[in-house]
Amino acid sequence: MQKERAFSEEEEDKLQSALGVTADDLELIIQTLEFILQQAAYHAAKPQVLSQQLMQIDLQDEKVQPIVEAWSSNAKDIVSQLRQRTIHPKQLEEVKWRLNLQMAQSTRLKMKVPNAMFELSVHDDNSGGREKIRVEFTHEELYGFYNQLETIQKQLDSLS
Amino acid sequence: MSIVQVQGGGGRVASDRTSFVGARVPPEIKAMIKPLNKLDKNTFRKVLKLVVQSLEDEVTYSEFKAIVPTLEDATSEEILGIVFAGLLCLVKCGLRHTTTSLKQQHFKEDLDELGISSELHSDLASCVFGTKRAVLDQQLLTSRPRLPQLSELKWRVDVAISTSVLNRVLEPSILMEMTLSNGQIKVFEVPVSQFHQLRYNVAYVLKQMEDLEKRSILKIQD
Repeated sequence: MQKERAFSEEEEDKLQSALGVTADDLELIIQTLEFILQQAAYHAAKPQVLSQQLMQIDLQDEKVQPIVEAWSSNAKDIVSQLRQRTIHPKQLEEVKWRLNLQMAQSTRLKMKVPNAMFELSVHDDNSGGREKIRVEFTHEELYGFYNQLETIQKQLDSLS
Repeated sequence: MSIVQVQGGGGRVASDRTSFVGARVPPEIKAMIKPLNKLDKNTFRKVLKLVVQSLEDEVTYSEFKAIVPTLEDATSEEILGIVFAGLLCLVKCGLRHTTTSLKQQHFKEDLDELGISSELHSDLASCVFGTKRAVLDQQLLTSRPRLPQLSELKWRVDVAISTSVLNRVLEPSILMEMTLSNGQIKVFEVPVSQFHQLRYNVAYVLKQMEDLEKRSILKIQD
């Protein structure tokens, strides 16, 4: 299901000798199994339907069963993982904050003004790095931000 | 030059508070006292007006120069410069204190201590304690050094219908565009799980902030 290969070279060597197949055959077996699972995931196939269709393409019964078992026991994880897959290169990854009480500044002594600093870490898929967005909020500004997040939350709530 | 502070006036007893200008009189103020006391009252008012203006907004050199020919007494630009710098420093020192920590009466006492003619006290006091104070206080707050603020937040909620790997996804995601006050624009996606994190944290900090403000009100006002 990933872009990477399912097995390492070493594992492939072992599989090859255990199964008694050539490297090309092993490659074909892995790709075929991957394809079957991808298709099952794409259509969110019911195990029964998958089993039926695999038999229709004349796959031996003893091979159909393990595939269907593998699918039915992992389907939930696989699909939920695929649901999270996104195309946007930048993703919010972490939120850090710090609450301060400003006591003084060069032009004013004896202050008591709270402020909140936020650091939003955004993962950038293109560069592979992390970008940090740092913003500071006064009480009023933070309240405004909170209200906007509440509006978004309401939209999300209305979806379910 | 001696660093020992010279007490002005006829041997008044120094009070136990520190002068609003600080324990050491800033050189700008020291240099201004003599020319200030010799200044014509109208000239003094014109300079003081410019000082207040410079606190709210920038004052250009040409604006400063423009008042020279309007003066009735022949004050040189050099003297005017010294007085301007001194008054600006003096008013800033006054504004550094909150109105609860510096009383008008103490302010005037300190002016006396500095050797500033009592004729000028009420004009100076009205700069620091007058109607402009609220505006100047606001100006101090907005001009403080700080991290960028969030100038604008645009967002959209998308629900993925299908993708190359899934026929039916139906998973919401949020796209945010944050415009910061330093001009930067950041666009990024927020997965729903991260959105909950963000919202929880913001709500939590907001609550903490409110608690903090409630608590600090209870503390002794200084």
